[in-house]
Amino acid sequence: MNYPARRLTEKMALALASSLLVAVLLVPPAFAQASPATASAPSQGASASSHDRWLHVRVSNPGSHDETVRVNVPLELAEKVLPTINKDRLHSGKVRFDDIDCHGVDLRALADAVRTSKDGEFVTVQNKDSDVRVAKQNGMLFVHVFEKNHPKRSQVEVKVPMKVVDALFSAGKDELDLVAALHALSSQGDTELVSVKDQENTVRVWLDSKNVTD
Amino acid sequence: MLLAKLALGFGGIVAAAGVYTFHEGVMRVDEDHSNGRHVHVWLPAAIVPMALYVIPGRHFARAASQAGPWLPTVRALTKELKKYPEAELVEVEDSNQHVHIRTHHGKLLIDVRNSDETVHVACPLAMIEDVSRELEAKAPGV
Repeated sequence: MNYPARRLTEKMALALASSLLVAVLLVPPAFAQASPATASAPSQGASASSHDRWLHVRVSNPGSHDETVRVNVPLELAEKVLPTINKDRLHSGKVRFDDIDCHGVDLRALADAVRTSKDGEFVTVQNKDSDVRVAKQNGMLFVHVFEKNHPKRSQVEVKVPMKVVDALFSAGKDELDLVAALHALSSQGDTELVSVKDQENTVRVWLDSKNVTD
Repeated sequence: MLLAKLALGFGGIVAAAGVYTFHEGVMRVDEDHSNGRHVHVWLPAAIVPMALYVIPGRHFARAASQAGPWLPTVRALTKELKKYPEAELVEVEDSNQHVHIRTHHGKLLIDVRNSDETVHVACPLAMIEDVSRELEAKAPGV
């Protein structure tokens, strides 16, 4: 190879190397994620989510398989996003309600009464159409409703930690503090909060640390 | 010799510009309709916030004021979603349609499929955050 050709080759190599260096320095997360080196991106997400609490909602039709709804929401995300929504009765993560919504029942007083009372069954109704049971046990509030026939056979189970109920009513008068309730919920272990089963649909709301449903 | 140097310099600049342009990934919108209409838009995500600067001010102000009340929500949502680069968020499926919203590789993916059309949207979360921040800065009263 003669001298000019060798010089040209050296300069080409130098320019190519510097271009590559610039490219590497500016290489974006988006490309990095596509590369094998960042195949760990999901695991990063998984490691982040392993400490996170996820609220899951699942609606399904076991009989007909007509419709399935799956919603997975990180509680932390909900906590951060809710206060930014100001629409109708929802303001700064709090929902305003009035006497009309509660049919004259003082919800705050009711919650206080439940909180201060000892564990036990508060309401038990059993008749030919339905069974209703409201109880407090080990810091959890249980509501159980079983409709036997009318309008259709259905079963509702609600299990809410009392800490969450307290947080919900921690806002001012006539307000429910959703953000405080979510925050209280995030300190709970894996638990099923709501389960509704009737002849057509099954609804489940539960809390765990997985970012996917089953 | 000079030409070779120029070509190399130009090549280096083009490579660097290309890397910068695509550093936020690509925004994709694909629509396929049963009537044969197809819409496919692929844009470097970094260009979208820049494009906001060339939109005439009056149009921009109107769009910003209409979206205004929701911009803080969008920004908070995208900021939080960036912490979950791989997440299944919403899936609704019935006999006629399928809606799927998830994050994958730092992008928000929205897939809608029904008997008439199929829509796939892929938006880098960083781009959504940039655009919402830009709109928020220009939206009156936000």
